[in-house]
Amino acid sequence: MSRAKKPRGDATFDRELAELPPELRWREWMGRIEAVLFASAAPVSREDLARVVGQGASVELLIGDIQAELAARPYELAQVGGGWMLRTRTRFAEAIRAAADVGERALPFTETELGVLCAIAYHQPIDRAGLAEIFGKEISRDLLTRLRMRELIATGPRSPRPGAPHSFVTTETFLATFDLQSLRDLPELGLPLVAGGARDPGA
Amino acid sequence: MTFQPARLPDDTDSLPQLPGWVTSGGAETPGIVAFRSGAALLVLDQLLGDPGQGVPVRLLANRLALSAATATSRIEGRLARESDIRDAYHLTPPGEARGPDGDLLAFWRDAARLRSGGDAAIAALTGPQFADACAGWLRAAAETARTQGPLAGCSMAMAAVLEADPRAERVACLLSDVVLARAMGWKRVLPVTAQRLQGTRLRDLGAHDEPAALAVQAQLLETLGDTIRLARTLTARAEALRAKAPKLRAKGAEEAVALFLSEDAVAPGAMLSPRIRGTSVRMTDRAARRFCDRLVALGLARELTGRATFRLYGL
Repeated sequence: MSRAKKPRGDATFDRELAELPPELRWREWMGRIEAVLFASAAPVSREDLARVVGQGASVELLIGDIQAELAARPYELAQVGGGWMLRTRTRFAEAIRAAADVGERALPFTETELGVLCAIAYHQPIDRAGLAEIFGKEISRDLLTRLRMRELIATGPRSPRPGAPHSFVTTETFLATFDLQSLRDLPELGLPLVAGGARDPGA
Repeated sequence: MTFQPARLPDDTDSLPQLPGWVTSGGAETPGIVAFRSGAALLVLDQLLGDPGQGVPVRLLANRLALSAATATSRIEGRLARESDIRDAYHLTPPGEARGPDGDLLAFWRDAARLRSGGDAAIAALTGPQFADACAGWLRAAAETARTQGPLAGCSMAMAAVLEADPRAERVACLLSDVVLARAMGWKRVLPVTAQRLQGTRLRDLGAHDEPAALAVQAQLLETLGDTIRLARTLTARAEALRAKAPKLRAKGAEEAVALFLSEDAVAPGAMLSPRIRGTSVRMTDRAARRFCDRLVALGLARELTGRATFRLYGL
């Protein structure tokens, strides 16, 4: 759960870099942002990034410059949910998978896990009883705990049922994992409501 | 359930009322809409601006925030019901994730707390994506509001946001509310814009479609009518509660009544006990539940959920 290492507001960390000429200063800031994103597995918010550059510097402009530099690289700086992250471009997915079990830990889900995740994404907030109604069987606490450990889901509002069980909601990491800007990008929900026409079969 | 005998009409009759012709006719041209909206805005302004009218403004704003959340959920395609949204917000323990529905209501409740002049707070709520552009849009819309009427300013602000990002409907509605509050000189933002809007209309509006702009303004006019009716209803209920308040002799009754006059939904277990929210007055769980039940028995409040547990009460 280590967030991007963010220098605290201690005296030793120089945000402004006042002694550098403007161009070098800008390059240093770009470097800092890229480094922070490189070191972080999860998306980093704008506020966190703003903390490593000068007061007046625009994080958006800095990121734009980094993105321009990365145009030819196999990885990109993408906006995900409410923050930014570095990630490999999708067309290299096969290569990464072929090379090693790099992605093994991070990605694969069992069919049930994916199904449960999907049900939570669409029906959140939903508790175990609600999931049991959808799947016709109890969903094990272990499975839900595994999804929670990966920070794909979090506990949300209490359900108004006896025992006040926690319901589950999806997280920012969920959005990042499935490359969604927001929940509206979920298939079908993201479709325009005009004329109940063509649905996306690939989803 | 016992109901309060009908003593409400004499109270509401003294309140400013919307003349029937404002919403009865058609809305064929921008001129007609601007003219009719003038009357509606005047009535609304009289209701909100004069504390002597007894309109529970905070309660009205929070109630409107809930319907704005329901409306934006519909526009965004999530289709959460009002009760789902209210539950998600009120049943989330402190520090836990509210989920999309609860977050949406939190967004609109924050909106209803905004000072209409506070550029920084408004930019913070719209998010980093719009933070830089907000001030410019608001300035341009204020100019339009000055020359063509507040509703024209509202639809212009919405069009500007939706052109930049067609999916930012909630930000569009928020900025429209800000434009309205500034044009009317209200200190706080009142979330009225979203209530009746439809997603398709907003898409056309973002594409600078003239008929869509007129249709949006006509819907805003109808919403103003709804808001005036809601304000009058809530005022009548608030008056009834204020009249009976001295007879409620429970400890902390005064503070609890004040909470009911500012919140559209009160959860006795979380908001009245162990301390009445916003005060240091203690109330036990049991006393809180008894107090709410007593209000219901007196016909002063309603239970909103229909559940036997996790109940929420409101006027």
